[in-house]
This record gives sequence, C-alpha cells and structure tokens, in this order.
Amino acid sequence: MKDTMNIVGKRVVRSDSLAKVTGRARYTADLKMPNMLVAKVLRSPHPHAKILGIDLSGALKTPGVKAAVSGFDGFGIKWGVFRYTQDHAMLPTDKVRYIGEDVAAVAAVDEETALEALSRIRVDYDPLPAVFDPLEAMREGAPIIHEQYKNNINIHVHIDVGEMDRAMESAFLVREDTFKAAGEAYAMMEPYAVVASYENGFLDLWMPNAGPHVRAKALSNLLKIPLNRVRVRHINSGGAFGGRSEVAPGDLVASLLSIKAERPVKLVLSREENATSSRQVHDIIATIKTGMSKDGAIVAKDFRVVYDGGAYSSTGPIATSIPFYVYEECYRFSNVRYNGYRVITNKGIRGMYGCHGRAFLAGNEAQMDMMAKELGMDPVEIRLKNGLTSGEMTATKSRITSCGLKETIEVTAAKTDFQKRWPKTPKLEGIGMGCIAIMCGFPMGFRSGSSCYLKINDDGYVTLVTGVVDNGQGNESMVIQAASEILGVPMEDINLVNADTEITNLDPGAYSQAAAFVSTNAVKIACEKARKQIVAIAAEKLGVAETDIALKNRLVYSVEKPEKKMPISWVAREAFARADPIAATGTFFPNIDLEREWLSRPWGQMAGTFSYATSVAEVAIDPETGKITIPRFTAAHDCGRAINPMAVEGQIEGSVQQAGVAAITEGNLWDGCHLLNPDLLDYKVPLACDMPEIEAIIVESDDPVGPFGAKEGGIAIRMNAYSAVGCAVTHATGVLFKELPLTPDKVFEMLEKGTEVEG
Amino acid sequence: METVKVTFQVNNEKTVLAVKPNETLLETLRERLDLTGAKESCGIGSCGACTVEVNGLPLRSCIVLTSEMEGADITTIEGLCGEGKLHPLQETFMEQGAVQCGFCTSGMIMTAKNLLDRNDEPTRKDIVNTISSNVCRCTGYKKIVAAVEKAGKYGR
Amino acid sequence: MILPGFEYRKAASVAEAIAFYNDFQGKARYLAGGTDLMPLLKYRLSTPAAVVDLKGIQELGAISADHGWLTIGANVTLFDLKNDPVVKEYFPVLCQSLEATSCETLQMRGTIGGNLLQDTRCIEYNKTMEWRTARGFCLKMGGETCNVVPHSRICLSNYCSDNALSLIALSAEVSLAGPEGDKTTGLEKIFSGCGSRVFALGPGEILTRIRIPMEKSRGVYEKLRVRNSIDYPLAAVAVAMRQNGARVCVGGVGPAPRVYDLTGTDAGSVRDGAQKAYTDARAVPNSTLSPTYRRKMVRALFRRAVNKILSEGK
Repeated sequence: MKDTMNIVGKRVVRSDSLAKVTGRARYTADLKMPNMLVAKVLRSPHPHAKILGIDLSGALKTPGVKAAVSGFDGFGIKWGVFRYTQDHAMLPTDKVRYIGEDVAAVAAVDEETALEALSRIRVDYDPLPAVFDPLEAMREGAPIIHEQYKNNINIHVHIDVGEMDRAMESAFLVREDTFKAAGEAYAMMEPYAVVASYENGFLDLWMPNAGPHVRAKALSNLLKIPLNRVRVRHINSGGAFGGRSEVAPGDLVASLLSIKAERPVKLVLSREENATSSRQVHDIIATIKTGMSKDGAIVAKDFRVVYDGGAYSSTGPIATSIPFYVYEECYRFSNVRYNGYRVITNKGIRGMYGCHGRAFLAGNEAQMDMMAKELGMDPVEIRLKNGLTSGEMTATKSRITSCGLKETIEVTAAKTDFQKRWPKTPKLEGIGMGCIAIMCGFPMGFRSGSSCYLKINDDGYVTLVTGVVDNGQGNESMVIQAASEILGVPMEDINLVNADTEITNLDPGAYSQAAAFVSTNAVKIACEKARKQIVAIAAEKLGVAETDIALKNRLVYSVEKPEKKMPISWVAREAFARADPIAATGTFFPNIDLEREWLSRPWGQMAGTFSYATSVAEVAIDPETGKITIPRFTAAHDCGRAINPMAVEGQIEGSVQQAGVAAITEGNLWDGCHLLNPDLLDYKVPLACDMPEIEAIIVESDDPVGPFGAKEGGIAIRMNAYSAVGCAVTHATGVLFKELPLTPDKVFEMLEKGTEVEG
Repeated sequence: METVKVTFQVNNEKTVLAVKPNETLLETLRERLDLTGAKESCGIGSCGACTVEVNGLPLRSCIVLTSEMEGADITTIEGLCGEGKLHPLQETFMEQGAVQCGFCTSGMIMTAKNLLDRNDEPTRKDIVNTISSNVCRCTGYKKIVAAVEKAGKYGR
Repeated sequence: MILPGFEYRKAASVAEAIAFYNDFQGKARYLAGGTDLMPLLKYRLSTPAAVVDLKGIQELGAISADHGWLTIGANVTLFDLKNDPVVKEYFPVLCQSLEATSCETLQMRGTIGGNLLQDTRCIEYNKTMEWRTARGFCLKMGGETCNVVPHSRICLSNYCSDNALSLIALSAEVSLAGPEGDKTTGLEKIFSGCGSRVFALGPGEILTRIRIPMEKSRGVYEKLRVRNSIDYPLAAVAVAMRQNGARVCVGGVGPAPRVYDLTGTDAGSVRDGAQKAYTDARAVPNSTLSPTYRRKMVRALFRRAVNKILSEGK
C-alpha cells in the first residue's frame, strides 16, 4: 500500500502554516468585535477561606463598567468530568480553595477601567486552616477541603491483578524505591483567553480548547442552555499539551458577563494567571516495588503513587490511572497491585499533561536498570525481555494489535551503539533508555468516536466537516492530507470546517491521542464513501470497470487506458443532476470495552490500539557544578504509519524538549501555597541552546485498523524521554536518581553521595 | 496623563498617533493598528513572542513604550512579505515544518531575520545563539534551526 | 499586562534629564533600554509619576579610548560593546560577561548603564501586585519582614548584573551626574550592600560613563545558570589578570558584588581565596536553586575561573 500512495507518507507543508508564518492566523486574543468589552477576574488571595459575602456594587458604580458577576450570578451547579467528581463551581460561593481561584469578574470598556473596578469589589473572607502537602493532607486531622473527600482523598484507583503478594515473596530479586517529581507548568505560549458573545439566546465562544464538544457540554450544563445554543467555535490554539482539555472558569466568567452586558466580552489571562489559575501538573510521589525472576522477568509489581491534585477533581480518575496504564501497555507482568491516590490540597488545580507521570515512569525504568545490573543484564536486554509484543494482553486485559516496541528498542540501541558503550562509558557520562506505550484514545463512552461529513462542490473542490481539533500538533493538516489521498485532489482544494460544535459532530478531541487513529479514520471512511460514488458515475461515463478507476490530480481516469478520463468536477455536477450529490458521512468508533470504568471496573479493552516508543539519552555531568548537558538524544516512535513524517518528527523533537530536557530544568516551585515561578523566566522552558542533537526515527508497524496503518504519533516520546534522562544520570553517577527535575543542585548532591559511597 | 504624539513608519506606511504615555508598542500594534501577528505571551520580555523589527533591530514590543518610537521604522511579521512574495524565512519555516502551534512563530522569524540581515553565512552555532532569545514550547527547535539555515542559503 | 500610568519625557542632555527629574519632584525613573525597568513597572514594583527617556542623549552613546582609559557611554548597548574591537582585545572577561548576559535580542536593547543599575532580584519579589498581596509585602516592598528568611530584617535579594562583575574585576570607575553635581567613583563603591535599597546613589543621579584602565588583561567569566540563554546568574565569578595581579569579583548571590584581590597564584592562595568567597557568600532560598548549593558554587566557580586563567598563562 505504501508505494501506491500519492500523498500519505509524504513530507507535506502543513495546511495551517501559511497563515502562521504571515501573522494572519487568528488566536482568541486577536479577536475584535463591535462593542466588545474587556473582562478581568478578581482572584482569591487566600489558600482556603470561607466566603462570607461578595459585594459587587462598588465595581458596578465605576464608570465604564457594564457588568460584574460572582458565583451568586450562576445556577450553583458544580461541574465534574464524572458524576462522582462534580466539585467545581468555577466561581465558588461557599469557600475559596487556592490562591488565584476565580472569585468575581467585571466587564468594562477597557482594561484600566476593569482593573479599577476589580479594586472596588469587596469580598468578605473568613480564612481557614489550609494544607499544601499531599501526605499531610491525607493524615487524620488535616483540614478538610471538600466535605465529600475523606482525608482529602479525591480519587483512589485500586488495581489488583494476579497474586501480587505471593509472587513478590517468591521473586528472586526484590527492590523498592521512592521517586518524586515536581509538577510542571504547561507553559503553552498562548496564555488562556476566551471571547464570549451572547445574542438572541445564542452563546458563541472562542477559546483555545482541545475538545470543543466537551467544552460546550460543560457550559450547557453550567448555564442551563441547550447544546445547540452554546456554540464553541473554531480558533487557532497556541499549544495545549493536555492543559486545555476541560472547561475553564474563564469560560463561565466570560459567558455570564456577556449575558449580563449583552455585548461580546474578551477575557485574556496574564502569564501569571495562566500558571496559577488555569491548570498545573501533578506533583507525584511514587513508591515502586518490583520483583524479578533470575532471568530478569518482572514477576510482581506493587505501586503506591500519591498525586497532588490541587483544589479540585479536574480529570482526576484519568490522571490517577494513566501512568500505570501506559506502563502496563508496554511491559508484561501478571501480578500487580496499584494504589493511586489523588489528594486534594490548597493549591492550583492539576490536570492531565502530555508528559504526565514522570516520577512513576522514570522511576520504574531507572529501577529496572539497577535490578538488571544485579542480574548481569543490560538495559536493552531487560527491556526486550519484558516488553510486550503484538497479540499479547496487558495486565488489565487490553489486547495489543500492533506493536513496534522491539523495533524501537533495537533501532535506538543500534544507532547509539548502546550495548557496547553501556559497560564502559567515561566517568560522569551516561547513557539511558526509556520505553513506553500509549493508548490511542481514552474510553469516553459514547464520546469515544468521531464523525465526518464531506461534500464535493460543483467545481470539484471539497468541503470537509469534522470535530477534529488542532492545538498545534497538525491534526487539521493530517485529516486534509488523508482526504486528499483518497479523493485524488490536492490538499489546497480541500476546505476544512472543524471544531465548531454547531456544525461538526462529536469527536474525542485532542487530549487522548485519538486524532490519528479515531478522527482520521472517520475522515477516511467518509472519503471512501464519496470516492465510491465518484467511481460509480465515472466508470459508467467512461465505459470502464469500476475496478479500473483511479483518482489523481483532480481527475478520474482509467488505469488501463489513461486517455479515458474526466475531471472530478464533472462527476460532481453529474451527481447533482442525478439528485444524488457526492456527499458522505463517515463514523469511526474504536473497539473498546464500554463497560470499563476508571474506578469501579478497571479492566477490559482500553483503546483501539496502542503506540510505542523508545528514547535514548546521552548525558555528561560537570563534576564541579553538577550541571548536566545532553549532547545527543535518539528517539524512535512506532506510530503505525506516519501520515506526514515531518509532522511526526516535529512531535518527537518537541517531546525531547518538553519531557527530556525538561527533566533537568522544569518544575513548579512552591513556598507553601505560593507558586514561585509562574512566569517564563524562573520557569525553565528549554531554549535552543539547551537542546541536544536529536535523531528522530519513525517505526511503522502498520496497524490493522488505523487509517493507512496510522496510530498516535505525538505523545509516546513525551512519556519516556524523562526516563531516558533519569536512567542516563543514574548510569553516569552510579546513584539511583530520586527526584525530578535533575537541576544542578540535586545532581551535585547525588555526586556528593556517590563520593561518600566510594569512600 | 498627557498623550504623546508619535510619528513613525509601520510596514512602510507613515503613521501618526496620539498614544497614552504608558502604552506599549505591542498594545499599539495589536489594538490600534490591528497588527496581531506579534503576540503577548510572557509580558515581561522573557520569551520573544512579541518581537518586531525597529530600525533594523529585533525588539520585544511588550517592554517598550510607543512613546519611544518617534521617527522609528518598524516592520512586523505582516510587513515581511512584499508584493505578495514571502520572505525566505517564511518559505523555509513552512517547508521545514518549523511551525506547530504558531504562537512563537512571528517573533521567532523576526528574530532570525535580524541574524540573516547582518550575517550572510551564519553557522549553525550563530543560529542557535540567535534563536535562543526566543521560547518555543512545541518544536524542540530543530526544524527552526534548519529553516533559518536554509533561508540563509536562499539569501545567498 | 498593562503598565501603570505615568508621563513620558525624552531628554536630549544629561542636564535636561535631571531637570525633568526635578520637575516631577523626584518621582521619576530614568529609562534606557527598559529591559529591567519595564517588567518592574508592569509588576507595579515601581510606580513613578514619570519616565525620563535617556536614549536621546547622544553624548552617552559613544565608546572612546584616550588618556589611558576606555570610556564607555552609559547608553552603549551590550551588543555593541561586546563587538567593540578594543573590548575584545583588551578585556576578554567583559566580552565573556556581555556574551553571557541574557540573550542576543536583549543585548541589543539593554544598555551598559542600565545593566549596571538593574534592581536586585528575588523569587518572592519579582511578581505581580496580586501575587505579592497574597504573599504579604516584604522588606523590599516596604513590609515588616523578609519573606524568604522569616524574621530577617535585612534584604538579601540578588544583584544579577553579569557585567558589573567583570567591570569591577577590571577596576572600572563610573561617572555620575546628579542635581548635586558630577563625580567619579569605583564601580564597586556604588552599592549599598542592602537589597531593599541597592545603590548608594544620590536622588536623581544618572550613571553617565564607565571607564576602564587601558591595560591589556586576561580574563574569565564563569556563570551558573540552568538555561544557557536568557537566565540571570545563580552565582557568577569574574576574574581579570593584569601585570599587577588578579582581581576576582563574585556576584549573583546577595545584594552586592564582592571583590577579592588574589594575593598569589599558587594553589594555596587560590584555594584560600575561594574559601573566603564561600564564607562571605550569604545565600538564602531566594532563587531557583538551593542556597547551600549556590554558596558551594561560589567556591567552585571561583576556583574554576582562576585556574582557567592560570592554565591559560602557562
């Protein structure tokens, strides 16, 4: 199939790039509308306090202010992704639970006026004892942040498969270690922004989002407006990485203000607000106990993982589970116990992240290296030994249908000469390997599938309508490329209408690695249906068999007698005349176990397929300062089939930065409830000069169900790049790393420890 | 506050404005002139997303006052392509896949442009040094470096 | 993030700048490149009635070599200074510190005068008004106590100019012009030693020129930072060596640079010098890396910088 494709598999220029390089691509903050007002939010200065009253009158009296709202202007509905996590009112009326929480807001003619009005809002607080450390929060007697969460335990994911205790007891080698990692900042370049425009009972919204349909659903519930009157519209997004998945308080704020003022309202968060008050990433403490047999097989795993969840549930059950699942989708083990606790604290809300779970995942990998060493094995051998293969089941009963894990391990090992170098790297240089798998789509009930509608206009140009959303990773271009392949028209002939809830159908969104496998499959199915219609008419008109027809360069032609041909536009017109226009709907729903539930039934088929990846990091440590440099990084990703290899490479390279180099630079710093680095100066997003030479390798396992064989092609390296770095530093120092990020101060401490060990 | 009258060139057009003394160049470009290609990301000059060219030099427009711009010659990303022809950097950023979410792109291109303007044959090290002025969250910079390298060759 | 309200004045001469300063009863801030001042204004850490732009003062924009001094106008940008042939040939330590300052774009905007007179930094200080209100005001904001070291009455925020260190190592002097007249003093003497009021300058004083004795030197600048661009130093050491000995300047830790004249170049003197710098360094948790570590790095970078110079000389 590979050789016969015209455009899939080619390094094409992405459809969205022209607008972006010319500065014409519109993002939410760029929008301007007649009579538009500027909104500003008053935020809590307390980590935990009872709200005794909110007085907006001073703000409302400020000249130029057109509306002011607090939670008392809403319906008192609390949002939650799951029925059992409905704890977030967006604008609280009972109490505030973190510094930076949205409390009230104003809409005014300009920003100065809005700021002036905010200073005139009076909020009466009664400060409450607060708790910031998740382990303290779990203890008896700790301040309770939500009444319904005993000991502040928001979510407890308990998985118990096989006979863990017995297997651990009989294991040849057992090791237990605890790893910690600071939560990261998403640090998307675009600070959060939302424009809301309410008119005649219809609410239109623009904001960077990773799933317009779930966003509209949440707002529909919160505002008691039917779904077809809450329209989340298409706009460019300046990065998401998991942090734009859920409805944001700002969405409700802007909506309420627009409804009150009967004018469009724009709310743009500052960089600091984006860091403190949109989403943050979980801090994690992972205790990992592993039992191995003499031959290096993992026989038992016992996990206790504590996630600092911040003040509300967010996607809690998912966040508490994913690190475990991506691990079990990669390695074979039949006896496992996993206890994941997501704990509520008086800090900003934590959500899912593209690199989520680094303490757990890097910890597992580095510990495995230490154990392998004791057994006389190297990191490559131990991973090949335990890695899953196609046809196998994971511990919680997901079947793997395509798996290039072995190939990614072998190719990265070969490219880096890993096994030769491992036993004899120079002092303070190290090499490390990290592997992972990831599900292409989370189980989201009826929202797990995607639908696409397409029509061919009478000039032969194509209109493609799908819910697929793009946060910068190239999803829009990907579906256009897929349609171009099947319909035989150039990409520029296709107009994509997407991510607009009033026009497009449900789609899982761009936060569960589903866009390639699920959304593109729906597009492919729709295009194939339309193609069938085209082929039938053309075959009849050209007097050839349908099997002889091909589509290319806007033409329909006979393969055997290429002089027999006609433009697709003629076929389209003919179809109109036959009262059967070329238009089709395609829907794809992955083969998942719909009974599966994150807490109550954590087993069954998780996703339609899984992608795989291996990263190899090479590090050198400055003995005098502990500063790490990463001269080289090699990453191989089994993405099934690369629809646009250039885009897949871009994802791999970005992952090396955001997860790999981030492992030595990035982490949120706290002084109790105060986030110390909510900016782009003290929060260290790696710069060009900090980047290694990257070799990005695409492995194609040709998934049997994926569109053109494709699976997720963006995130797997994000889930193992830190593991490679953690393993490499462990290798270089001879001391198991215990905490991320590996900033120079922590590495220096490791070096001092290592010296002590040496004598 | 007394307004400040400023006369300058923006993308080759003479512009006369009365601005607030505390107005940043970024605000003027985005709010008054509808040139929204330059973005506000960090707001304090530490990321480069708002970079525009002023008198031949890259400038972080979020931390300069429009009041300071009297007589200045300003080019923004929107003014980079003349007569419908893209600047080589715009071509290569597209062709090399150096654009993902695009929020840093205009600042990145304006920063790189200055390097190409003063250095005919920038080495890879020069390029990395220059673009290390700007933060990109998506790409890992590899394709950005490749795009600047290629644009440098086009220029010659 | 919008700026607070203020008036804008552009001065054509030093005298006019001082006159503007007086017009606003001292409630004015001088503006050069703005790379340090603008973020402070945005965060409402400074709310002047007026901003007096110094960039129109032509006489402060030149570099000249005469009478045994290299004289640098305060308006010279870091980028231009870095590329000056005399600086390259005579003062390698300055070249290195300029290269290590922030990033290229900001080097093109930032001036040497502004770089030297930048405010000290603290991870609990350089924040928005909202953040600081929630945290409570510290000494440097006019509050009762330090937020980093509870109950402390002294502010130990960090002075983060890279180039002050190399200039002090080169025995540079600065000229100041103010309402009370002009004076010239050693650069190391303009610091108060207190983080809440960094400089011992008189009201309205403008740093106009920097001058360095025109004597060739060898030099090394060592800077610790997490990222290799944009970042301020977490600890830094500059060494300049001339005929009459080596001068070391330590910065990035605490509110003022510290100067050490190296007594000898033997291993013992280097070790003792480094140890002295370590003992003197008062690192507190006011930056992104641990204070214990930053203090140790003062010693490590001191040794490294001096040893580099010594090995170069061999």
